[in-house]
Amino acid sequence: MEKVLDKKSFPQWVKKLSSYTVYAPVQEDEVWNYEVITNPEQVNLDFPNTVLSPKKIIFPQREVYLEFSASNEDGLEVKEVLPEEEPSVIFGVRPCDARALTLTDKVFGGDFEDIYYWKRRNQVALVGLACHTPPSPNCFCLSVDGSPFSKEGLDVLMSDLGSKYFVEAFSKKGEQLINPAKTLFKPPTEKDKKELDKNRTEAKKRISRQIQNIKKIPPKLKGMFDSSLWDEESMSCLRCGICTYLCPTCHCFDINDEIFSSSPLSGKRIRTWDNCQFPDFTMHSSGHNPRQGKASRLRQRIMHKFQYFVERYKNYQCTGCGRCISRCPVGIDIIEVLDKVSSYEG
Amino acid sequence: MVNLEDLKKEAKTVLEEGKVKYIIGYEKSANGLMPVPGFIKSPEEVEKLIWTPACVYNLTKFLVDEKRRKSREKKPDERPVGLVVKGCDSRALVVLLQEKFINRDDVFIIGVSCEETGVIDEKKLIKKLKGKKAEKIEFDEKDNFIVTTQEGKVKIAASEVLAERCLECKANSPVIYDVLLGEKAKRSVDNPFQSLEKIESLPERERWKFWKEQLSKCIRCYACRSVCPMCYCDECVADTINFAVTADTTAEEKAQKIKWLEKSPVKSENFVYHLVRAIHLAGRCIDCGECERVCPLDIPIRFLNKKLEKDAKELFDYEAGFDPEQPSLVSSFKDEDPEDFIR
Ligand code: SF4
Ligand code: SF4
Ligand code: SF4
Repeated sequence: MEKVLDKKSFPQWVKKLSSYTVYAPVQEDEVWNYEVITNPEQVNLDFPNTVLSPKKIIFPQREVYLEFSASNEDGLEVKEVLPEEEPSVIFGVRPCDARALTLTDKVFGGDFEDIYYWKRRNQVALVGLACHTPPSPNCFCLSVDGSPFSKEGLDVLMSDLGSKYFVEAFSKKGEQLINPAKTLFKPPTEKDKKELDKNRTEAKKRISRQIQNIKKIPPKLKGMFDSSLWDEESMSCLRCGICTYLCPTCHCFDINDEIFSSSPLSGKRIRTWDNCQFPDFTMHSSGHNPRQGKASRLRQRIMHKFQYFVERYKNYQCTGCGRCISRCPVGIDIIEVLDKVSSYEG
Repeated sequence: MVNLEDLKKEAKTVLEEGKVKYIIGYEKSANGLMPVPGFIKSPEEVEKLIWTPACVYNLTKFLVDEKRRKSREKKPDERPVGLVVKGCDSRALVVLLQEKFINRDDVFIIGVSCEETGVIDEKKLIKKLKGKKAEKIEFDEKDNFIVTTQEGKVKIAASEVLAERCLECKANSPVIYDVLLGEKAKRSVDNPFQSLEKIESLPERERWKFWKEQLSKCIRCYACRSVCPMCYCDECVADTINFAVTADTTAEEKAQKIKWLEKSPVKSENFVYHLVRAIHLAGRCIDCGECERVCPLDIPIRFLNKKLEKDAKELFDYEAGFDPEQPSLVSSFKDEDPEDFIR
């Protein structure tokens, strides 16, 4: 389905979606993040890269699995907790972040479906916003099979045409978003289509950062497990969790029982994001840690994204959003690291 | 003004003479304005060193890594590490020396003076440039910086883009060094705790609301801890491995170890984390501002540490990071110390 929507009518469209929980980028101080919107006029699609991707809505940092208590004589009472199923829609999803969800889909899908993930994923419609100009100076989607107009993973893609949006729906979920507001949308003219094509080509030219020889990297990495490159490149790493926590594709988690009362016993079993850059990520209960230093953790981050994941799922586990580069406190730059992998001899 | 060529010359000399193992300084990054920490191992590499108003990082943190690395080596190279420090960074070094975390001969200190200026707050600069991308920034006398964008050079008043901590700096030039570049100087600061005034003037309820909102945003990436030179503990209560496991530790003992805080990034746990951190930094934080700079959620963590710094000053007349010989705040007492909180 292809339509155009006057920018002025956009809040009205959002208003029509009252049966959905609506998320959109919201600015607080200098930080943009996806939050629930109560006032449709509040939706502002002129935003740079958000700190966290929409991953935080579908795979939240904290998820309750079950509640337990030993309040009666019969022993432990266990109650399963599942996410509420309510239809929601996220506006302003960047193409790279939508592609990232297609990757977490693989991880949380397949032979073992993660019910928590899918309960939310199935209910959420993703309305993308094409990137005419890259929202971050470190965008490199083109290097990892993406593009600023990619529709992968999206239900709807909106592209800016000045006074209006070109709106494409690719799925039933997407069409269902447009249907209640049908009268607001018009069919696109030939001129609109031409302009869209032009924008698409030009947007690509504005992406300035790229990985050299990306195709060569996965096989090259295979032989680099013991390389000294990891020591060199991780010298300035601080061991914080920014790169992985902000990454739209990272999906590791931890499960802990959080005890609220020890007598009578009660508590919750909770899953939280985990982070391969933290020293305790690989800590064995014996006290042995197979990934001791930070070099082995940087290696893990790169290997997982550009070797193990490629081998298993035929995709890079990176969609080029640039967050890890922009936010690294010491300027570790995944593009530079990969370029060094390409040219590494030894 | 620090002359970069002088800095390179000093660095080259000590490397050539084999006086240091390597030098930790600032290097140009391949992409953009901000430098990266540089580890200079040979005299040839000295050319990579830079000194600009974007040299914000407190590099003393890397001494913690160096110490850990050294402790694992069988035959460690005993020579000192060369370290480039600004005034604030040098105060962090003083605390590390005072606490005997490092020895004076572990480090060859190359001091660079900010003279009467300081370093930038990148976020302020980005805002100021309204979308134009800064490619380069240089010092220009004491009151201005010169910023190069694609559209040419612009002069910006330093006061508009200086980091908050620089506006309240207590030591623009290093307090300890082996060589000093630039002049010993000091920009006058009327009130070093000025930034606290606004939040201190709020009623308690409002302050509580402020911190509840701010700390609820925290995702516990621990960047604030990771970047802090004072956060050097091998085991941190914030980690899930905060106890020593030996071959004899039973499963039961492991299960019963106290967990000080849960991994859930919820208000209660975030408060525990931040309050533990703040208290552990009382009388130790030297206000390099790194914790606040690195926070991806822009949480104003510096206020917490600044407030404790102010308390230490007002209640105990104590200032961290000036004298490596002074007894530390929490391990010493004086007869005149206030005790009205003991009831
Ligand atoms: S706080 Fe002081 S010493 Fe540190 S960078 Fe700013 S002006 Fe320089
Ligand atoms: S850097 Fe910010 S988000 Fe990360 S742990 Fe510290 S306060 Fe929380
Ligand atoms: S608490 Fe923050 S300002 Fe204080 S020394 Fe640590 S990083 Fe620097």
